[in-house]
Amino acid sequence: MRITDLLSKDAVVLRAKVSNKEEAFDMLIDLHEKIGSITNKKLYKEDIMKREAQGPTAIGDGIAIPHAKSSAVKKPMLTAITVPDGVDLNALDQQPSKLIFMIAAPEGGGDTHLELLSRLTVMLMDASFREELLAAQNTDAFLKIIDRKETEKYGHEEPVQKKDGYRILAVTACPTGIAHTFMAAEALTNKAAEMGINLKAETNGSGGAKNVLTRQEIEQADAIIIAADKNVEMARFDGKRVIKTSVSEGIHKPEELIKRALSGDAPVYHHNGAKTEERYSGDESFGRKIYKHLMNGVSHMLPFVVGGGILIALAFLLDDYAIDPSNFGKNTPLAAFFKTLGDTAFGFMLPILAGYIAMSIADRPGLAVGFVGGALAVSGMTFLNPDGGISAGFLGALFAGFVGGYIVVGLRKIFSKLPDSLEGIKPVLLYPLLGVLLIGVVMCAVNPLIAMLNEALNNGLRSMGTTSKVLLGIVLGGMMSIDMGGPFNKAAYVFGTASIASGEYDIMAAVMIGGMIPPLAIALCSTFFKNRFTPAERQSGLVNYILGLCFISEGAIPFAAADPLRVIPSCIVGSAVAGGLSMLFGCTLMAPHGGIFVFPVVGNWPMYLLALVIGSVVGCIMLAFLKKPVQK
Amino acid sequence: MVSKKTKIINEQGLHMRPAMEFAQEMAKFQCDVNLKFNGSDFNGKSVINIMAGAMKCGSEIEVQCDGADEEAALAKALEMIESGFGE
Repeated sequence: MRITDLLSKDAVVLRAKVSNKEEAFDMLIDLHEKIGSITNKKLYKEDIMKREAQGPTAIGDGIAIPHAKSSAVKKPMLTAITVPDGVDLNALDQQPSKLIFMIAAPEGGGDTHLELLSRLTVMLMDASFREELLAAQNTDAFLKIIDRKETEKYGHEEPVQKKDGYRILAVTACPTGIAHTFMAAEALTNKAAEMGINLKAETNGSGGAKNVLTRQEIEQADAIIIAADKNVEMARFDGKRVIKTSVSEGIHKPEELIKRALSGDAPVYHHNGAKTEERYSGDESFGRKIYKHLMNGVSHMLPFVVGGGILIALAFLLDDYAIDPSNFGKNTPLAAFFKTLGDTAFGFMLPILAGYIAMSIADRPGLAVGFVGGALAVSGMTFLNPDGGISAGFLGALFAGFVGGYIVVGLRKIFSKLPDSLEGIKPVLLYPLLGVLLIGVVMCAVNPLIAMLNEALNNGLRSMGTTSKVLLGIVLGGMMSIDMGGPFNKAAYVFGTASIASGEYDIMAAVMIGGMIPPLAIALCSTFFKNRFTPAERQSGLVNYILGLCFISEGAIPFAAADPLRVIPSCIVGSAVAGGLSMLFGCTLMAPHGGIFVFPVVGNWPMYLLALVIGSVVGCIMLAFLKKPVQK
Repeated sequence: MVSKKTKIINEQGLHMRPAMEFAQEMAKFQCDVNLKFNGSDFNGKSVINIMAGAMKCGSEIEVQCDGADEEAALAKALEMIESGFGE
């Protein structure tokens, strides 16, 4: 804040002709109205006069600084008049006032007006400065004199609280990065303004970091508040006092945080690789850390699911089922375009999930390791069969993400004993090389188990083929929802398509309905039980209607990954109910894919639809029952 | 010389009205009154000087009185500051 920022040319009248206090004040108030600093002239005048009644604001030596904090004030501003002949404002020293500045300060504006008063008085203590102001030829000259004096007094040793020095910095971030990130930033900034402290808040929202802190600002700041539920770039705060807390604390307890930051008892943060993780492990519970890593992966994966899913749905919409039922979605060139595009986006989904989980755990070096691990979970690579086999699905990707992250954390620990001269080659050579190698070994060791599980499931299903159809429908439906793309899902799906080939069409019907339930159950739940979901989840919940109806189970993955223990059981139960009902009603399906677009060729489709609705509602209600309302 | 540290408790800091009250009251004493805040000295008998200090709520200041009636001046000064100037 500089005086000349608050005092404009239009706000100054030189050599004013006023004969008493009332006239002088009216003139200053009119100037305030003219420059737009107040909304209600009458109210502002009342507040000024109320202040005057407590004691005169003419502080002697010909100076008067009438002022008021008033609800009529929009923004802090100054007006000024010079009265060479002087006007009696009941000054302490009984002298007439010649230089009159009027401050308009907004209510709850903190210490702004105190600082303004202080600056003005400090400058006005200098008699020659007062003489110069009185002698100013025009308003331009008047402002120039003030500006020069202010620079002389404050120019170089600009106190920390002034315009380009922030005493406190903040970084806010939440996993979805749509609402809470910005609410916390706003709460902190507003509270700081109220307390008269300069605070800058960087928001790490879904659109990337905004209002990014500069190196210089970080250097000058007293302390930094990190209000985040996901990891933020920390290396830059090395050696500063840092308070780490959750985003909700930022929203609800800004004052407490700012006071703590000011008190100087926040711990000094040291960023040196592996130590980061240990240092703060004490501050956050284990569960909370896991959740934070998980959400970092999920929030990055979401755009791939939404973009890819809707494109695949478009492909089904634009395709002609009759050309070749087994190739539905790619029969026409346009459909094939959308389908391929969507599939490509889906191809990144699990690597992204794993990569960003690992990055959340181990910072940047984790990304590559997790990414590759995720891709290996998808391809199902094993030592004996490097080309891959059975996908480990999203549960495999979650596993790869966490393992990949902790592999890098482990490597860091091991390499911390290396001489400093090798520091540079760690991130460019050692972490990527050994990290990718190790995750490859781990995944190749785990994937055969997945393949064995898949094989066992296939055999199990085959042997079940002759037992109760309804039970088979229940099992198949449920399996579709267990891992949405992993060994269970694949076993059920392959069983379904194989049955088409052998002329049994009721099994595919149960399989498809099982795969349609998870997104639909989640979509319904996010519509009817809004408080169980964050704003971002509610929005992607809408997309899940489309994805569910198109038999794109992947829509459920972000929700399942974020909260597996509640979402997956609900989906399994819903899908099992629908699968069993489909069998019971004797519904049939000859196409391996397509969702609602192939309903016209579903045998007994009205009952199929009924089964779909019942399954979705069951899943939805169970989910609503299991999930707790999101904490505001 | 006698001196004592104290804290500004009124919410808006030592703004113009309390500063005036304080300066007027201190002017009645013979001794010199000095307010030490943030490493600088401010004449406790001058409104302009006090305001120039921009002492905010929570600021720790040291009141120093030096002269014949220093004890009485210090007592009065502390009483005023610690009562929050009736705010």
